[in-house]
Amino acid sequence: MLKKDLISKSPVSRTIGIENVKDGKFGAVLSRAGVGKTAFLVQIALTQLLNDNKILHISLDDPIEKINIRYKEGYTNLVDSIGYVDPQKAVRLWDDIQNQKVGISYTETTFDTDKIRDYLKSFKKAELALPSVLIIDGLNFDHDVSKTLDELESLNNEFSIFIWFSMKNHREEDLCEDGFPIQLETHKDRFDKAVFLKPVEDKIEAVILKDGDRTDQRDRLDPATMMLVG
Amino acid sequence: MIRDLERVRNIGISAHIDSGKTTLTERILFYTDKIHKISEVRGKDGVGAVMDSMELEKERGITIASAATYCEWDKHNINIIDTPGHVDFTVEVERSLRVLDGVVLILCSVSGVQSQSITVDQQMKRYQVPCIAFVNKCDRSGANPLKVSIQLKEKLGHNSVMMQLPIGLEDKHEGVIDLVAMKAYYFEGENGEVRAVKDIPEDMMEDARVAREEMIDEVSLFSEELTDAILEEADITEELIMAAVRTGTIARQMTPVFLGSAYKNKAVQPLMDAVINYLPSPLDIDNEALDMDNNEETVILESSFDKPTVALAFKLEDGQYGQLTYIRVYQGCINKGDTLINSRDGKKFKAGRLIRMHSSQMEEVDAIPAGHIGAMFGIDCASGDTFVSSQINYSMIAMHVMEPVISLSIVPKDNKAQINMSKALNRFTKEDPTFKTYVDHETGDTIIQGMGELHLEVYVERMKREYDAEVETGRPRVAYRETITRKAEFNYTHKKQTGGAGQFGRVAGFMEPCEDEFEFVNKITGGRIPTNYIPACEKGFKGCMDKGPKLEFPVTDIKITINDGAFHAVDSSEMAFKSAARGAFLEGYAKAKPVVKEPIMKVVIETPNEFQGSCMGLINQRRGIIQGSQEEGVMSVIESQVPLADMFGFSTVLRSGTQGKAQFTMEFSSYKQVPQSIAEEIAREKQEEKSKKNN
Repeated sequence: MLKKDLISKSPVSRTIGIENVKDGKFGAVLSRAGVGKTAFLVQIALTQLLNDNKILHISLDDPIEKINIRYKEGYTNLVDSIGYVDPQKAVRLWDDIQNQKVGISYTETTFDTDKIRDYLKSFKKAELALPSVLIIDGLNFDHDVSKTLDELESLNNEFSIFIWFSMKNHREEDLCEDGFPIQLETHKDRFDKAVFLKPVEDKIEAVILKDGDRTDQRDRLDPATMMLVG
Repeated sequence: MIRDLERVRNIGISAHIDSGKTTLTERILFYTDKIHKISEVRGKDGVGAVMDSMELEKERGITIASAATYCEWDKHNINIIDTPGHVDFTVEVERSLRVLDGVVLILCSVSGVQSQSITVDQQMKRYQVPCIAFVNKCDRSGANPLKVSIQLKEKLGHNSVMMQLPIGLEDKHEGVIDLVAMKAYYFEGENGEVRAVKDIPEDMMEDARVAREEMIDEVSLFSEELTDAILEEADITEELIMAAVRTGTIARQMTPVFLGSAYKNKAVQPLMDAVINYLPSPLDIDNEALDMDNNEETVILESSFDKPTVALAFKLEDGQYGQLTYIRVYQGCINKGDTLINSRDGKKFKAGRLIRMHSSQMEEVDAIPAGHIGAMFGIDCASGDTFVSSQINYSMIAMHVMEPVISLSIVPKDNKAQINMSKALNRFTKEDPTFKTYVDHETGDTIIQGMGELHLEVYVERMKREYDAEVETGRPRVAYRETITRKAEFNYTHKKQTGGAGQFGRVAGFMEPCEDEFEFVNKITGGRIPTNYIPACEKGFKGCMDKGPKLEFPVTDIKITINDGAFHAVDSSEMAFKSAARGAFLEGYAKAKPVVKEPIMKVVIETPNEFQGSCMGLINQRRGIIQGSQEEGVMSVIESQVPLADMFGFSTVLRSGTQGKAQFTMEFSSYKQVPQSIAEEIAREKQEEKSKKNN
């Protein structure tokens, strides 16, 4: 019951759509630094955890403790958004779902898809359910990441795991003709979905840049909690 | 022993395994003129380090029991406890921390803050022990003391402040710059015993100036005088800085960081100065005891020699002259021939030979005054007992001791081994509260219990070596538990009429899950069960907890509430109500959805990056849950939770999977419900065992 309530309150349910989260290969959450890419990615991951799926969160920026804190924060915000919840129930649910999340912290230089492949293979070997979503936070799209994306695509083929990326753009850069930041434009054919987060007045607007029928859909989020406003 | 307590330090040396604790202690003892030859830990010269007095420790290169020793430095008395680094022996670390006033936390300048450092740090927090850090192994390739200082901040939340800068690192490590005195120290002579004080090399002057400013900035928070001096641009004296560092350290608000290489004899002497300058004396620490005659009220002990004596036995050892009891005196003074009382059992005893130790060598003394650590011979007591003078009845606060999670059956090979084994077990159980033993009445086997595979392995080995008791070991067994998952009611009548006096008792109420091991609540009103039968009811329920009805594992976390019942004026008896409670327990238990729980261990693997994926795979294959993985330089740290039942033989698998390059630590985390399929397997095994026994 609590799970369902939380999923329905998730900003992801309205922006991307819960069923739609892992439909395809690659997805991107774009914004300038400090707007809330990681917080939004965490909300995407939480919908999977609440649906009894496993997720793998790879961060190239944050140490593992910080990743864990981000998830706890994201979960607390979600719980707070539905008004009163029996605190014991909320804690029990957190204990259940947090174990389905694996965080790995790499640096840009040590990030290696082979290590992820080894790890995913072990799930198959032990006949365990594979993570449904892989989150890669902090990959620098200002560099040439084509090779990494090729490798990750093969990972997607091999394990049917949807990969969500964070993608940082810059204030001084103009958007391309089709309204995409340059970082997405370069790889746009690879991506099935893209959500652009931009500050509008004192809120954050989540604009769907790419996702079939949802393209151009706009929703407002609270910048402190990433929860839907209005 | 020095009676001016300002000149006494009781310190421990804590760290991750292989960080160089024992080597550092050796060097300290060498420099304080206590030993005249430095032996390497792994015993290349066949001698072995002085602190590792047990044969086994010398062979394995790990320190199992904490040997206590003392030394003198700059007119101060320093008592040092060398603590074991492996998590399986954590109770040793905990006991040491209980009696120490300060700790030197050793960190490896290459590996930095490792999993065990985190465990040790948590223990230091629990006992509020101030610490200074020593970044060792600065001569190693990849040494980076600054990174380690940052890790202390980020991983352990210490306010770490560098008090020194290295002069050269790795194979060029020559000495250190003291940022307080603004001098360079080099260590000359065959064993680095000559400290040469020189000017700071010119090319390092600017770095040293900046680092000193940063240090003073941090330290000024703990001294108004220092802040004033900075604001008024007055002279900042060494004394002013040192006083501020001392205040911050004792308040656990900052951790001064020192560096060097014990193995290469670099910068051990400045560390000794720091122990004296910054770690607390017994006078700086408040020690508490419970007044057993006054409702266990907390009393603060005074480090005064005239007050009634209070001492704590923190370690027992069975040596060639009988049992040696290591004690710390907190108040008063123990003189040879004094009569003391063991507050646990109220037994009187006479303090016979008093000694202070230098590893396995001892020196006889006439008295052990408050604030000091020493040992007594010929006292029959257990670890953790409090000794007091007859005027008072205090008990030191109980130490935090964990329940064992693994057991092993042992069978002596012959009659001689049988006798020696019981001697050995008697000693080990007294020495180590996490090591337990009992006889399984059904099989007749002796069972030993402990905190991990290695923990038990070491004791089996020690039985063989020290007591000549060879035993055959069975398969290690996990300490499963049973519990209930929902509330259930019971209403049971025990009635027996077989001629003569009958038996009658009815007990009704409910059982529910709770956080405590066992809770009993009496809500009987109107005398439905006479008050004198209530303890019998409680006993009846409690008696059922030892062997659960489901799979005969101990039952935990149950709250029993009785609220109704009935008795018979003639036929009711204590026995009848005990039986009624047993029947009621069985009735309620069956309805309360009982489950089996298993110990879950926190397993931390440190592996070279290239094996990260496969190590995570190994955890996956063992029903483990990976909590996270972090890369640190060339190494990855993987944190996970794994059922103990799946950890047997893991060290072999890990070694072969990583070319022997990965290591892991394991400690008890919690009890969790066993998945249905595993529970069925356990039930099947139990059944097989039973039928084997019956045949």
